[in-house]
Amino acid sequence: MEVWRVVDDLVCTRRVPGMSSASLRILKGQKGEISVATDPVGAPPGKWVFTAAGTAARMAMPDRTVATDLTICGIIDGWEEG
Amino acid sequence: MRIMRVKTTLVSTNRIDAMGHRPLLVVQETPNGPRSVAVDAVGCIPGDWVICVGSSAARDAAGARDYPSDLTIVGIIDHWNPEGT
Repeated sequence: MEVWRVVDDLVCTRRVPGMSSASLRILKGQKGEISVATDPVGAPPGKWVFTAAGTAARMAMPDRTVATDLTICGIIDGWEEG
Repeated sequence: MRIMRVKTTLVSTNRIDAMGHRPLLVVQETPNGPRSVAVDAVGCIPGDWVICVGSSAARDAAGARDYPSDLTIVGIIDHWNPEGT
């Protein structure tokens, strides 16, 4: 699992049915890369989180049919940058 | 499979139910490389050199086919010379 920081919410009204109504977050990685993940946890901006990628991302969603490849699995209580 | 070194334990109180209470560890492939999070299926401590599996093997190794892990520790290496490769 990778470690990211939540940058912001992502609003995307028009989407494929397979994405259902999953909430989305913009994440920034340890090297500054930007990615989008589905969020079943409710992580607020600024928090450090860890994610599951690939098929594990679908297992992490309450509804496993959601078409995602990156899902936030939990909020990290304490994380030192660098 | 990848050889990685355990740095610290990772505390995450607010996590999805599917992850249960399995221990999570921060692992690193190279001393200054990016840090990843792995599910610990063995019981290792910071400083251990470990073998990690990814993709769907990580889900099987974590104990269940539907466990949401993409990186799982499957073994602790007894002896390993990081400079020898």
